[in-house]
Amino acid sequence: MNKLKYFYSPLLALVLLYGCVETNILDKVGLTTLVGYDVGTEKKIAATVVIREVNPEFQSNVEVLTTENDTSKGNRIEANHQLSKKVVVGQMRVVLFGEELAKEGLRYFIDTNLENASVSNGIYMAVVEDRVAPLLEYEYENIEDIGQHIFRLIEQNIEQEYMISSTLHEVARDYYSVGKDVAMPIIKRDKELVKLSGVALFKDGKMVSRLPATDSFYVKIVRDTFKAGLYETILHHEDLPSALQKITTDDMTVAFDAIHSKRKVTLVNAANPEFDLNVKIKARILETYPDINQGDPKSVAALEKAIQNKLAKELEKVIAQSQKVESDIFGFGEIYRGSVRHAQLTKEKWHEMYKDMKVNIHVDFVVLRNGVFE
Amino acid sequence: MKNPLQLNPKDMVNTYLLFFVMHSAQIGVGVQGFQRIVFQDAKHDAWISVLLAGIATHIVTFFMIKTLEIYGANDLYGIQQDIFGKLIGNVLNILYIFYCFMSFFSILRNYIEVIQAWIFPSISAWFLAITLLIIIIYAFTGGLRVIVGVSFFSVVLSLWIIPMLAFPLKFSSINSLLPVLETDFRSILKGAKSMTFTIIGFEILMVIYPFLNDKKHVQKYAHLSLLATTAIYVAVMAVSITYYSNEEIVKTVWATLTLFSFISFPFIERFEFMAVCFWMLIILPNLCLYLWAAYRGAIRLVNIGHTKFVWLFAFFIFLGTLFVQTRIQINAINNQFANIAFYAIFVYPIVLWIIAALKKKITTKKEQKNEQA
Repeated sequence: MNKLKYFYSPLLALVLLYGCVETNILDKVGLTTLVGYDVGTEKKIAATVVIREVNPEFQSNVEVLTTENDTSKGNRIEANHQLSKKVVVGQMRVVLFGEELAKEGLRYFIDTNLENASVSNGIYMAVVEDRVAPLLEYEYENIEDIGQHIFRLIEQNIEQEYMISSTLHEVARDYYSVGKDVAMPIIKRDKELVKLSGVALFKDGKMVSRLPATDSFYVKIVRDTFKAGLYETILHHEDLPSALQKITTDDMTVAFDAIHSKRKVTLVNAANPEFDLNVKIKARILETYPDINQGDPKSVAALEKAIQNKLAKELEKVIAQSQKVESDIFGFGEIYRGSVRHAQLTKEKWHEMYKDMKVNIHVDFVVLRNGVFE
Repeated sequence: MKNPLQLNPKDMVNTYLLFFVMHSAQIGVGVQGFQRIVFQDAKHDAWISVLLAGIATHIVTFFMIKTLEIYGANDLYGIQQDIFGKLIGNVLNILYIFYCFMSFFSILRNYIEVIQAWIFPSISAWFLAITLLIIIIYAFTGGLRVIVGVSFFSVVLSLWIIPMLAFPLKFSSINSLLPVLETDFRSILKGAKSMTFTIIGFEILMVIYPFLNDKKHVQKYAHLSLLATTAIYVAVMAVSITYYSNEEIVKTVWATLTLFSFISFPFIERFEFMAVCFWMLIILPNLCLYLWAAYRGAIRLVNIGHTKFVWLFAFFIFLGTLFVQTRIQINAINNQFANIAFYAIFVYPIVLWIIAALKKKITTKKEQKNEQA
């Protein structure tokens, strides 16, 4: 017992002393939920932060602040100068970049967030059409907490697989990979709403082009395997197989739910990069207009064929556009690096080769079932 | 064969516990960030380097056991005294005690650095050092059996961390490992050498050997524990290579912890904060065992009680934490220490075995001659 006392008393003292470290009490801190960066007018970076202040008595309020400084931490100091509560970043969920800044390059922002231990690697990154500040500062009628709203918007769409995923980890991995480029969602304000409006293509961490939001489906099926995603397309009349051309004289709209999609990329020619891209999609037909008889194996086969052709065409278009701007968001370069020994691949070298790369697209579309009413 | 240890059966431990002792002595602070060091040389074949380092530990341990078997019930300190004589043997013993001290210090300081970098940037190193030292002293004064108990619980209670590796797998692409063996063999070996700091710890066998009650099964449990360690290291390495891209892994200081930074549960947002705190349990046996190994050496040299020794030891460690403050200093110490450890752990035991075997041959011949005469 004596010996125990001997050890417990200093231990107890130390435990109590640990209570003296810097505290972060919820109603004394301002939680940064979202940060947006723009190119500054006077200094390098203009940062717009959405800060949630939890108030024990009243409803918690949300403040949107814009500051300008040369570094992101400098902006944090500036923000602190304007607030009664300490600014902390542990609850940050989203980082947004203005279009102009994205075109200048995001390397600094990727590194500074990776370096900070209190920033999670799971935060989302996105590009804003035009500047970030007006998007965040606008007084929306129905949106109370713009930070939370944008986070939910992006999270929901990524989880439902409508949009490509762009967490800090994925952005950083693609940025530092020799054979892959960064892609991020684009958001914009549309009257009283915030919406996802496209996919930004990057080359060496600089935004070079964009694709419309509907194309994110094609980007997703080539980028990785995914499970569920609603998709709607128009099959033009002249592209329809003859079996279906009989049914309608007009274009045909089809909506389907991709239950499972799998992609396989193989390098067939290393000298002049040529890839075989096999995409296999198992889907559920949700809607066709005009109606076709889905009990008939022939017309289903014709429909499958029509969708396959359509998808292959669209994929070709999307890949061609990314080739034009030398932004390999699909990761063909990684496959190349993994298949060719001693390739000594560098980013520049791959971008050069990517421009003239050939891809043979094979889509295998299988209709699993339709709804409960034929 | 001089100086065999006279041990009370009460002080002995079950041989199967050697598995936990060696395993917990190996896994410590190194595993938090060994990826970048190995990756620098071996690139995406780094997992092969890890595997090779693991195989090397098996070979070295094999020779260690061979050496120990020649002497029956003696530890490294006694063996050195016997082989090299009182004077040189004692110098080597002092060096080995110093090695234990350095090992203890670098583990402690690295862990404190992790705490400071991840959770509490404002707590000073000496304060954390005192807290940890008091716990370690407490465990140490309980004797070997308590330390072995700490090792056992450290391994069993941290088993749940291994399944956490499945979370990052969601973002992994197996393509990152291809093409296998693209890096030339020299670089892979260089990578394996960089594993030294992470993989050492199994040398504790040289000190704990006389305390094991069933010497016949030592080989089995020792190699089993090395196998477990190697498997964990290879798994962590493979997951890291597939999770990060090439450049990124070199820049990530504690890749294992960053790996965890993605994991979040409804009840805990940032899993790696838990992991950092929990790591104390993982390094605790590390520290206790090195302290104990140093103590075993010290009592061969001078007549010193264990309380007196432990306070003295702790005092010098504490002094060290006052002087080593910056990341650059810590890294310099790690590199120096890893260099020394490579020769002390991977080269020296084999040399020792050769000498011990030769000596045994000569002495048995002499004895035979004496008998004949």
